[in-house]
Amino acid sequence: MGSVIDLQARQKPEQKISETTDLALNVRTSSEDMTGWDRQKIVVALVRETGLDQQTAEDISLDVEAVIKKADIKCITAPLIREIVDSKLIERGLEDARKKHTRLGVPIYDVDQLILHPNKENANVPHGPEATNLTLAEGIKKEYALLRVFSPEIGDAHMRGDIHLHDLGFIDRPYCSGQSLEYIKRFGLSLPNSLSIAKPAKQPEVLLAHMVKFAAALQSHFAGAIGWDAVNLFFAPYLEGRSDREVRQLAQMMVYEFSQQAVARGGQAIFTDINLYWEVPKHFENVPAIGPGGVFTGRTYGDYEKEAQRFVWFLFDVYREGDGTGRPFFFPKPLVHITEKFFRTEGHQEFLEHICDVASEKGTTYFVFDRGETAKISECCRLSFKLNDNDLNDAKEPWKMRFCALQNVTVNLPRLAYKNMGDEQKLFNSLTSMVELAVKAHLEKKRFIESLLALGETGPLAMLTMKTDGQPYIRMHRASYLIGMVGLNEMVKAFTGEELNESKRALKFGLKVISHMNLECQRLSEKHTMHFVLEQTPAESTSYRFARLDLRDYGEIARQYVRGTIDSGEIYYTNSTCLPVSSRENPIERVKSEGLFHPIIEAGSITHIWLGESKPSKQSLANFVVKVFRETLNDQIAFSPEFTNCLQCGRTVRGLLDACPCCGGQEIDGITRITGYFTKVSGWNKGKLAELKERNKNRGFFARTQTGSA
Amino acid sequence: MPTVKLFTKQQCPRCPQAKQLCSGLEQDACSVVSYDVETADGLAEAAFFGVQATPTIIVEDDAENVVAEFRGQVPAREELLKAIGVR
Repeated sequence: MGSVIDLQARQKPEQKISETTDLALNVRTSSEDMTGWDRQKIVVALVRETGLDQQTAEDISLDVEAVIKKADIKCITAPLIREIVDSKLIERGLEDARKKHTRLGVPIYDVDQLILHPNKENANVPHGPEATNLTLAEGIKKEYALLRVFSPEIGDAHMRGDIHLHDLGFIDRPYCSGQSLEYIKRFGLSLPNSLSIAKPAKQPEVLLAHMVKFAAALQSHFAGAIGWDAVNLFFAPYLEGRSDREVRQLAQMMVYEFSQQAVARGGQAIFTDINLYWEVPKHFENVPAIGPGGVFTGRTYGDYEKEAQRFVWFLFDVYREGDGTGRPFFFPKPLVHITEKFFRTEGHQEFLEHICDVASEKGTTYFVFDRGETAKISECCRLSFKLNDNDLNDAKEPWKMRFCALQNVTVNLPRLAYKNMGDEQKLFNSLTSMVELAVKAHLEKKRFIESLLALGETGPLAMLTMKTDGQPYIRMHRASYLIGMVGLNEMVKAFTGEELNESKRALKFGLKVISHMNLECQRLSEKHTMHFVLEQTPAESTSYRFARLDLRDYGEIARQYVRGTIDSGEIYYTNSTCLPVSSRENPIERVKSEGLFHPIIEAGSITHIWLGESKPSKQSLANFVVKVFRETLNDQIAFSPEFTNCLQCGRTVRGLLDACPCCGGQEIDGITRITGYFTKVSGWNKGKLAELKERNKNRGFFARTQTGSA
Repeated sequence: MPTVKLFTKQQCPRCPQAKQLCSGLEQDACSVVSYDVETADGLAEAAFFGVQATPTIIVEDDAENVVAEFRGQVPAREELLKAIGVR
């Protein structure tokens, strides 16, 4: 980047000042060297970058030179010269040329702020030099995306807040992905540009090392989560003959390796999900197992149930203990699949109570419900891919089971209500337009990613093009394109006068909105032969952003519906299709009502049950989980307790407190779930803090359940 | 008067049979409302009742309580009439 420059305007007396060469200036360029003033560089850049004709470029360069001469400045930067050129382009009405010639960068004030203060857009980004690098790079790539990847129509819609294009700062990567351990078990670890190639692991510890390194490499190629399927099952062939102590040690290594990866990209932990099963999932029962050295063991995964169970049990032992200070592990997130077969598998009740014990104690467990013949792989905050017939066919060769979502685009639902008050037909027409706009954004991102992938092994996404098993690692023809939503509750309230949980009419109206979006996704999927699917947007920062923009642009009406405290700026919209976080219905009613939306949100949903400081019994949570599986259509639930970690005495206690109850220390970290993961409250944005204040912590419910009075 | 809610879609082999059954119900004994789950209104109503398969018939009483449901199947006429309360 260019920095401050000493510019010495040394006039040569024997030449006319109007000539370019008269200004024998030293200009410090962005390549950190000093060059003499050369007006022709402006001309060359204009012709090369904007396609302007030579004469116009010459004229502009002379104008610029005149400005610099007149200013009699002592210091100049190459970026400043570029800005002056841009201003001349504007004066001549050459807006297209200016866009092509513009410079992406960050004001020095902003850099100061970034270096000094934490980034609160993503609570998984710590504060440090790596994080600053990440934020700066993201800032420039965001601008690049809006100028070069997306059309003005899409870029403007994002800037206005009609839609939100997620992870713009990672524009040159797909969004998130699901992996199979079988890939590295079979092929070892061989990455483009790596200095060495590893053959398939022979020991479980080595397999874990390969997994962690592969995950870190994938994190550099995807914007978001890295999910792993059936981790305990695929490890199982490596665990035969190992003692309980060794397997427990391996479980501990796995959890710590992933939870302490905050040394990777941007100082971020790898957002990792591990999918776990008590039973052997039906689609893997008869699949030949791969064992040490990448060799088929001659048996099928159905034969490894006991080893898989031993490993998953120990994993939850580790989760129950928490980290060195008793805090919950933030990553890897354990997603336990509850299926019909789960209930037919020996030992399921003990295991259910074990994972419920962890859920109560630490909140770590995610319960994913695969009812009927459904099979899923889950990742990110709630994203899951339901396995179709093709996927289940791939399951015979599980290393093929690599999934990705290319992008996530979220629709601002409350704004649609503000713009179409009282006219349902118009509202639904606008909703159609928004889904079409989201699809257009997906087409533009897809085109861009495909252009990068086309560069093959010399391109920036070389890793995703490697064809170890005969087809590219990223299977673009199977990619999903996510369309999310924020603030259904506020939209329904603005349009019907009632919140989702206040009447059957309001709830049904909400269901109609999501049904309409679902059907539009189906229609547009057929039209473009792509897979557009609804997902509940995690909306860690989007709900705050939409609320702020709506207050700015629709202030009169939006003031009535945004949640939180307007005066302090702590405002938000309710996430996705969720009921208001403050609503008082009991948790099972919330799970049921929110679950009505889940079957029409194909790519994943979750209901959070906030526990506050309470610690229900494992039996009461187990009963609750069974009830959710049997009596609702809810896709996924998680229980979220709150913790305070004292930085002075190191103890972790229940509840969000102002001071440590053990030593009275005031240096504390509050910890609870922000959206789909645990993190420190101090890193939360204002919108999420407002939500936290309003969350119904279900005080007393589970205690009553335990004694049978609920 | 009870309400019979019928959920169907186009490519559904047993839906014509369900439609025929419901269209033959006595009009003064119940009101029949048909929902095409490939429309927003139909899919929303199906989601509300957790309908996962077609055809599905749900019978509600006057107070909108579900008194009978036949999910992914076509009941015998007598069975449906009994659910509606017609002897």
